[in-house]
Amino acid sequence: MSFREKSAWITLIAILLVSAAFLFHAPRLSHPGPWDFHVLLACIAAFAVIEIVSFVVLRLRYPEDARTPIDERERLIHLKATSLAWGVYVVGSFLAVMTLHHGASAVVIGYLIVLAFVVAELVKYGARIVYYRRGV
Amino acid sequence: MGGTNISNRIRQLRFENGEMTQQQLGQRIGVTRQTLNAIELGKYSPSLEAAFRIAEVFGVPLERVFQYNPGKTPT
Repeated sequence: MSFREKSAWITLIAILLVSAAFLFHAPRLSHPGPWDFHVLLACIAAFAVIEIVSFVVLRLRYPEDARTPIDERERLIHLKATSLAWGVYVVGSFLAVMTLHHGASAVVIGYLIVLAFVVAELVKYGARIVYYRRGV
Repeated sequence: MGGTNISNRIRQLRFENGEMTQQQLGQRIGVTRQTLNAIELGKYSPSLEAAFRIAEVFGVPLERVFQYNPGKTPT
């Protein structure tokens, strides 16, 4: 498994963990309050910590792989995965805004757009892993 | 996705050149071992530049390394 595939796995797992923690601690989106915002900030901070610590450990464990520059196949994989994720984000954001016509508040729409972003990121890193496994 | 209609003789050429490893060849042409493995297995078609670099490393013409099989349907 290449260094960048390991990195993709780390990010995918980190997003899943942090998203699960957020959904578990802030399920009251119909009545959002300051507490939910604090949970969101804590989750972003937790994600950053998980990513930084994991990447430092990964770099120390595989120094040679970490120094290898990204090659043409990896660039293509990133491009294809990002393209896929962009589509998911656009559709998700559009659906989030559509909830405005069903009486959703601005805060709920905001959280739904964040959800669309999170799902798009999951798709991006999931697609990268699939492409790494398949060849492209 | 995951297959091409281009076959190659990289494995054989590596064998004929002192059992060169995928890592060594990858370093010489500027790709990772995993990418070289994907090329060898026909899962990824390299860029023209990478293909020429591979041929250059082995000192053979491009067509000795890669063969186009138009009848084969990519998977």
